[in-house]
Amino acid sequence: MTPAPPPTPSDGPPTGPRPGSSGGPSAGPSAGPSEEVTAPGATAPPRTPPPADEPPPAADAPPLFGPGSRFHSFADDPRWALALIRATVLEAAHPQVGAALADNSTFVTHPWRRLRNTFRSLRRMFGADQAAREREAARLNRLHARMSGTDGRGRGYDAMDRPTRAWVAATLFESTVTMCRLSGQPLDPETTERMYAEYRGFLAALDGDADELPPTVSEFWPYFDRVVETELENTEAARIILYHLFDHLPAPALFEGAPTLWAAGRAVVGPLLGAVTVASLPEPYRRRAALPELPGARTLMRGAYLTAGLARFLPPGWISAESILDLLFLSPGSDDPRTRTVTALRDRMRRAGALLRLLTPLAGAAEGPGPGTYPGAPADARTEARTGTGPATFARRTAEEFFRTVLDQTGDGRLDWPDLAAMARELATRLDLDEPEETRLYDAFAAWWRELQAALDTDGDGWISAREYAAGVPSLAGPALIRVAEVLFDATDRDGDGAIGADEYHALFRTAFRRDLDTTGGGYGRSAFVGDFLAFMSGRRSGTPYDPLLADA
Amino acid sequence: MGVTEEPGSGRVRTGADAGPDDGGARPVPRHVACVMDGNGRWAQSRSLPRTAGHQAAEAAVLDVIEAARSAGVAWLSLYAFSTENWNRPGPEIDHLMRLVRRVVRKHAPLLLARGIRCRFLGVTDPRVPRELARDFADLTLLTEENRGMTLTVAFDHGGRRDIVEAARALIRGGVTADEVTERTFAEHLPHPDTPDVDLVIRTSGEQRISNFMLWQVAYAEWVFPEALWPDFRAPDFLACLHAYRRRDRRFGGLPAPTNGAPR
Repeated sequence: MTPAPPPTPSDGPPTGPRPGSSGGPSAGPSAGPSEEVTAPGATAPPRTPPPADEPPPAADAPPLFGPGSRFHSFADDPRWALALIRATVLEAAHPQVGAALADNSTFVTHPWRRLRNTFRSLRRMFGADQAAREREAARLNRLHARMSGTDGRGRGYDAMDRPTRAWVAATLFESTVTMCRLSGQPLDPETTERMYAEYRGFLAALDGDADELPPTVSEFWPYFDRVVETELENTEAARIILYHLFDHLPAPALFEGAPTLWAAGRAVVGPLLGAVTVASLPEPYRRRAALPELPGARTLMRGAYLTAGLARFLPPGWISAESILDLLFLSPGSDDPRTRTVTALRDRMRRAGALLRLLTPLAGAAEGPGPGTYPGAPADARTEARTGTGPATFARRTAEEFFRTVLDQTGDGRLDWPDLAAMARELATRLDLDEPEETRLYDAFAAWWRELQAALDTDGDGWISAREYAAGVPSLAGPALIRVAEVLFDATDRDGDGAIGADEYHALFRTAFRRDLDTTGGGYGRSAFVGDFLAFMSGRRSGTPYDPLLADA
Repeated sequence: MGVTEEPGSGRVRTGADAGPDDGGARPVPRHVACVMDGNGRWAQSRSLPRTAGHQAAEAAVLDVIEAARSAGVAWLSLYAFSTENWNRPGPEIDHLMRLVRRVVRKHAPLLLARGIRCRFLGVTDPRVPRELARDFADLTLLTEENRGMTLTVAFDHGGRRDIVEAARALIRGGVTADEVTERTFAEHLPHPDTPDVDLVIRTSGEQRISNFMLWQVAYAEWVFPEALWPDFRAPDFLACLHAYRRRDRRFGGLPAPTNGAPR
């Protein structure tokens, strides 16, 4: 599975005249895929394979990856958001991907986290840094190697299946091309060829070679049409993305304080996004999956792509996908300088909401039946009205809430291994773990899962329901959970000095030390870390730094 | 109003600690509390239903808020509904809840514009209607940035319950017996930034404490005007302030006590 790139002096300065590595990272030991990498349309003789171990001949071609690549010219394009959604639906419509998504993915409950991780990963895969790409590819392979199983109809799936992985690269490429077509700025053949080469390079970096994708664009289209017409299905995962995800999209951290605003915006945008995505899917798939043809949907879809395309006239800093994503993840406790502004803005929005509610005329004299008929004032209203508890006491939450926001990562209402695997995955991603730390973390979570199953799965059906969890909460802090905390501590403590320093802390929590930790000088010690982790996992404390770690959407 | 920023009541000093100013008259009390008594009697003396008395109280409340604000009172507390008031007849409670909700919503913009920070003490009983609790929370949220007078409305409040809650919070926080002082105890009361009450006005001539902010009234001066609350107006309020300023507060012969601090 190692990509084994040729020993070319790859990745010179991206703007340099002779990068010389145009096909390097993608080529791998097999000569096959590297030819059309450097054969941009008319200039180069089509399909004459160069020797495997030499850099391709086209000296003027920019490097395949890095800032000059086609991928990067679209990364900040707002249209790409639409194209990515479309690509994700096409991926999910593949029975293999769909089954893996339905079982393992957290994108329904934590779509923003997933988006951010995907974005980071693509950045690395298409970045200029060869070593980072190899590392990321190895990480992705480890991640996917842990995913396999059987779908609802008993068919096996495996996230390492090579044709399936080729399909993922194919949807990304095809959606980018289609995005340009739909917004009225089709790509010229040269650019298309180049971009195709990049995506084949992406696949080769993952899989060692790109043999599963046809070598040229002209051969790609029959391949794509064939898969769409014969292999894609109306999978559950695709349906969830089209009809459930946008209507129930949880608010990112930035909007957490303004649920009314978020829900209002979502009610308008969600169905529109769904309609736009459906209309942009290939016609054969829409027919096969029996997706609705709404009048005006195609016009709407074209309008959406056109409008998003107009954003290219905005100043470049405004539409940087990276900074937008970072902004979405600003949480009130973060040390980011923008937090103050955002917090002030958010407070103002909350106050405006409060004023609006107070100014809304009452429904009439009929409101408010007699005393005793009220089940109880809402907990949040009561705690807001009674703010005297001080900052030292963390709010406690109910077992159901904790189950929903933290434990049930896949959002299917049950706690089973994919939920804990998703936690391990998120932690490993945050800490950017290599082997063997990553496996150690997974093993610790697996041991915890066995412990949980033994303690909480009272009806023995293999998973834990919210009710089983609520009944067995006290037994949650067993030795295996302590072991998870210790392994996590070791993984976070990179320099192994027995304490988590400021940088290590930031890597895990993406925020600076709280002041009370800072004053202790020596960083965050093992026992304090383990204690806090256990308190979070079993004491059900909220408002700690652990909260955004696993509960953020 | 820098005081409001100070965490924990232990460090907040009462308004009286400036000492007597020139001429022997004391400064304006910092924290004034009103026990709004006599609504029912006011209505009965006019052969009206008791609920009419509560309605008439609205004007008095607004008058007193305005008078306190312009007189320079920094903290005003109003005892609107006690935990014992749940024993009243159901229809009267119903009516009261609706009335309070209407008053809160009607005057929210005014309170905001006047720079008054509003908050509520109590409001824990499940019998408090959900909508009312929501409105209380909204008003609190709406005005939390205000730095004018702080208006605390004691609604579904009981002084003993607050003390019990503080004790529970101490035990839950794992505070050892030796660490419990008057100051740490005060820090666990609801709204710990509230300073001690300097002056309590109880209308209608009744002379009882009635379980009102028991911890905070430890050194309060009390005045008992004869007026029933619906008749109580700004001049009456100013008269009470005047009476307070004529009094000689000695705090048991010691100067400058702090809220809950050991003496």
